[in-house]
Amino acid sequence: MDAWFAAVRSSVHWFGMGDTFDSDLIHSIFKLIWKRTSARDEDTALIDVEADGGTSKKSRPTTANAGALKISCELLRLFVTEAVQRAAIIAEAEGTEKIEPTHLERILPQLLLDF
Amino acid sequence: MESGDGGDGEIEKEEDLEMGELLKDRFRLSVITIAESEAKKQSMEVSETVVACIADLAFKLTEQLAKDVEMFAQHAGRKSVNMEDVILSAHRNAHLMTLLRNFSHELKGKEPQSERKRKKCSKKNDKLLQT
Repeated sequence: MDAWFAAVRSSVHWFGMGDTFDSDLIHSIFKLIWKRTSARDEDTALIDVEADGGTSKKSRPTTANAGALKISCELLRLFVTEAVQRAAIIAEAEGTEKIEPTHLERILPQLLLDF
Repeated sequence: MESGDGGDGEIEKEEDLEMGELLKDRFRLSVITIAESEAKKQSMEVSETVVACIADLAFKLTEQLAKDVEMFAQHAGRKSVNMEDVILSAHRNAHLMTLLRNFSHELKGKEPQSERKRKKCSKKNDKLLQT
């Protein structure tokens, strides 16, 4: 038992504080999506704003502060853990030890409504 | 990454997609770690399909979240997303919102910024006194 705890603890240590997402990773994903949407906006802006003369805010790269990223990581972590926990409840009720796709299917609608 | 801004939009688009795939893979790995450790806590096993599904859903959630917080920040006239924007994105679920708010208080607790708050308060009070 002790050995098992030690293994868990070392793996926790290995992945940083607990298991959560990496702020940098989430930031890169955010930036990529913001880049895509701003590119799309510029395309449409060319069509309907041209009459106005120059666009007022041409390049407005959105940024995120460190706290915002940490909370985003927490939100996503909660989503993943909730999904597993709820599916585990269903699996347990069915008397199995393994979470199968059918269990996920059962909890999916409410899960998606909750996030 | 941002080298080509001339006529090579095609190449840029391709790079963009590649980058997206790379990030998605890294994201998937994190989800696997989190989901498996959570299952272990419940002394359960998760099938790979389930984890893959959850990873896909979580990635979609991330995309939606990115769009939401960007809009919220813009609506507030800011270019930078702050903690309130992220908390606001969970406004449909009061319980989730309180969880995130507590988390943000914990984060704030680590870095003292009481002085700025006090200054703001006193300014407000001054204004009230003047009127």
